[in-house]
Amino acid sequence: MNQNNFLVCLPKILLDFLWDLIYAPFWWYSTGLFRLLKSLAVFLRDRQINLGIAVWVKNIFTPMYGQRDFISRLISFVIRLLQIFVRGLGLLFWLILCLAAAVLWLVLPIFAFYILVYQLVL
Amino acid sequence: MEKDESQFKDELQFTVLEPDKKFGLYFQGKFLYWDLRFDRPLIFLHRAKRRISSFLNVVCFLAGIAGLFSSAAWVYLNLAKIAADGTVGLFFWRQPSPLVLSFAVSLFFDMFLVYRLSEQRAGRDRLKRFAAKKSALRRRSAAAVQVPSLDISRAFSDETREILDDAYLEAVKFKQPEITPLHLFWALFKNKKIRLIFVRLNINQRSLLEKLARHLNEGSGAAPTGLGLSADTQKIMMEAYLDAYSSEQKAVDPYNIILYCFRASAILGEILYDEEVTDNKIVNSVAWMRTNEKIVANYKIYRKMARLKPGTSMNRAYTALATPTLDHFSRDLTLMAKYGYFEICLARDKEIKAVFEALESGRSGVLLVGPVGVGKTTIIQGVAQLMVKEEVPKFLEDKRLVEVDVARLIGGTTPAEAQDRLLTIINESVRARNVILYLKNLETVVGISSGAAGSLDLSEVLADAVSRRLIICLATATNENYTKYIEKRPLGNAFMAVSVAEPDNDQAIQILESKAGYFEGRYGIFFDYNAIEQAVNLSGHYITDEYLPAKAVNILQLAAVKAGQACKDDPHKCFCTCDDISRVISEKTGIPVDKVSASETQKLLNLESDIHRRMIGQEEAVDAISGSLRRARAEMRENKRPIASFLFLGPTGVGKTELAKSVAEVYFGDENCMIRLDMSEYQLADSVTKMIGGAQTPGYLTEAVRQKPFSLVLLDEIEKAHPDVLNLFLQMMDDGRLTDGQGRTINFTNSIIVATSNAGALYIEEAVGQGTDINIIKQELIDNQLNKIMRPELINRFDGIIVFKPLAFDDVVAITKLMLAKIAQSLEDKGIGFSPTEDGIKRLAQLGYDPKFGARPLRRLLQDKIENEIANFVLSGQLKRRDTIIINENGEIEVVRGRKL
Repeated sequence: MNQNNFLVCLPKILLDFLWDLIYAPFWWYSTGLFRLLKSLAVFLRDRQINLGIAVWVKNIFTPMYGQRDFISRLISFVIRLLQIFVRGLGLLFWLILCLAAAVLWLVLPIFAFYILVYQLVL
Repeated sequence: MEKDESQFKDELQFTVLEPDKKFGLYFQGKFLYWDLRFDRPLIFLHRAKRRISSFLNVVCFLAGIAGLFSSAAWVYLNLAKIAADGTVGLFFWRQPSPLVLSFAVSLFFDMFLVYRLSEQRAGRDRLKRFAAKKSALRRRSAAAVQVPSLDISRAFSDETREILDDAYLEAVKFKQPEITPLHLFWALFKNKKIRLIFVRLNINQRSLLEKLARHLNEGSGAAPTGLGLSADTQKIMMEAYLDAYSSEQKAVDPYNIILYCFRASAILGEILYDEEVTDNKIVNSVAWMRTNEKIVANYKIYRKMARLKPGTSMNRAYTALATPTLDHFSRDLTLMAKYGYFEICLARDKEIKAVFEALESGRSGVLLVGPVGVGKTTIIQGVAQLMVKEEVPKFLEDKRLVEVDVARLIGGTTPAEAQDRLLTIINESVRARNVILYLKNLETVVGISSGAAGSLDLSEVLADAVSRRLIICLATATNENYTKYIEKRPLGNAFMAVSVAEPDNDQAIQILESKAGYFEGRYGIFFDYNAIEQAVNLSGHYITDEYLPAKAVNILQLAAVKAGQACKDDPHKCFCTCDDISRVISEKTGIPVDKVSASETQKLLNLESDIHRRMIGQEEAVDAISGSLRRARAEMRENKRPIASFLFLGPTGVGKTELAKSVAEVYFGDENCMIRLDMSEYQLADSVTKMIGGAQTPGYLTEAVRQKPFSLVLLDEIEKAHPDVLNLFLQMMDDGRLTDGQGRTINFTNSIIVATSNAGALYIEEAVGQGTDINIIKQELIDNQLNKIMRPELINRFDGIIVFKPLAFDDVVAITKLMLAKIAQSLEDKGIGFSPTEDGIKRLAQLGYDPKFGARPLRRLLQDKIENEIANFVLSGQLKRRDTIIINENGEIEVVRGRKL
């Protein structure tokens, strides 16, 4: 694409901006949505690492504090279950947040358009 | 990251692709070319577009803010309504209100802004990688095959494109049709990042720009390519592209361009060379900048991971045990690493990998062995940091690295109790299962035993635990301590030794660069890249009893302190340069290492005349020595032997020792830089021990040279030494080193060796009296006389055999004048004049001259006749200030009264 002529370019640049305006909605539901979902996935993965659920699940039968007698193992198992449960709740919270963000992304343009039309009609 | 240049080393063949006459090169099956035309209106348009673009972003942002305000305003205005009926707030859009409308509009602006920012961010990744095409289409020209072509202009970052635009405008200003490498450099120089490189190289920016400006109106000479870039500049662009490609960058940035720009233009090369900027220095400075960026990026990742590491002795899986005793006697290194107490560990990947491999291969104990200051503790800290980042093999994940404080362990208690403590610690560590022990200076646990027969040594307790694979243990020790205390004992068998050597120069420079930032901040100065290189080179060369990188870091810090103080006095001096480093090293070692400046060159070229100021006659000897020294100073000698070694032959008192003293003064700066050995003290066989020392006692010669490696070693009357002692010198002059009685290697490569001998003195006197040529005398001496006292291989080792002639009468007169001048000097201090007559001098010379004894009787004569008399006069009050002493034609003293005031 040879850029070689001033007169051709100026309207082209204006066209660029116009193209931006037209393309934006399409981008929102394709590339934009994809990028959002990707970053949400990364975010959730980081939250999971932070909460350490995988570590707890992997070690569910490993006794805590190295105490290997039967009662300790039982207590350990129960505690681990509880921990997994509570941490799972935490992850669930983040998951719900992420879903809400995704839904918001999908719904926002439509919603804004709806309000606009509603207000103008009123 | 290692750059893989092999894939395109032989592909930089620029060609012109038909039929469009595109100039470019083939790379991995594609034809790379530059297809962006430069045009003044276009540049302005692009700039306008960029400005409008950012303006648009700001507008969207403000609109978004306005929308927020309007929604807040709406809520505020309708607070009562919302309080009364909640659904009003929930279905707020049903209320007709311009505020709600503006809120809705602002939402569109927000979304548009998100779109624009996201796209701009994604657009920074411009350098698309493509798979190498294995077809051999490359060199085929003509329209036979359609080769896919790639316009590389798209891969350049915005910053770089702006620089190119600037360069084009600059070219237009100088009425050139296209950008040449000079214009490109001019525009690059305006960029902050590039300018920082040149600041680091400590060049005179103004003079550089002036010189550059003079050449900016020169074109490339070739026909314009029509694109606005000369062919040379296009080549630079392509080389920069390949550089960025092989480094796996996201886009081509200014750093990629600067080096090729420098290489492309001969004029630029010359201008920069005048400012002492070479190719290598730019490469290294750019590498420094990039390393800094990498360190910052790495640090961010590190801090993120550090947050996940537990801050207590428990591991993330909660399977560990509490370890109270261990905690009492130790420091948790992983905890310290988590909180950022450790400096970064650079250039030690190989050693860390060796440690991991040793541990993975089943050994439980790894011992880092190396000299002091080489970086063993830093490697352990690096391991701790990797454990925080969890970039370690599986068996090290989620564990603590704990340094056992041996001093606390064994302090204030009996050996039996210390063993008890250690056993407890080991037990706790075994049960906890998330502990890796570290012991600094492993030899400190050796020898702690209760002394009773059959009792256990503390080290054996540890060795037992490690060899039974109960715990993983890391340790460090120096080479000597390893051989002395650890190697052949159970401890040595339990631990696998990993040798840590000194880093090479490039690695040491890297390490210093990473520490430079800290010193710069602390002392408020700026480091020149050359200073860092110089610190590594000079400390490596001149400081022989310490090791890199510690010695270079010390030098750097000392120089930084000095520069910091200078900076406080004068803000223009806030730069630490090569000269500062040289000065620090010079002070530390006592030798002159200043850059060979003009005055130093003059001194070397005038060595002969300088030496002759002190001594008379013996021109041949002085010439030979001066030649050797000049060679040494210009570093044209190989570094494996002493600087020079000479054998002085001649009768007594003709100036052999005097010449040695003169050389010491002229070359090393001080006539006391001389180590004098009288070989008549080393006539017995066990004199060897006296010279190099025994297991406990230091040797005279080796100790002297160890402490002052830069001196002249004078071996007087070498013919008197025992043959075993002479054998020592064989090795010394051949290899430049001697091993002393304690096993240390003493370095002689910075010494000058001078041996003197009276052998053949009679023959020399006769031959000179007969007028024989000096070379014939020398040959006769070597062939017939010297072999009586020395073996041929020793005679052979000397760089020069110098024959000293007996002094002629004129020489003696000159020596007399010299000695009288010294007396005159001391009298002048007392305000007494001294003027010997010519006849008087000649008379004294006659009296003092004896061909058999050289000039020594003269000294005694002057002492007796002149100095003693003067002393008598002064003490008896007959000599006062403003009097003058005359030596009459009999060589006696007369006093001339000075005028009374």
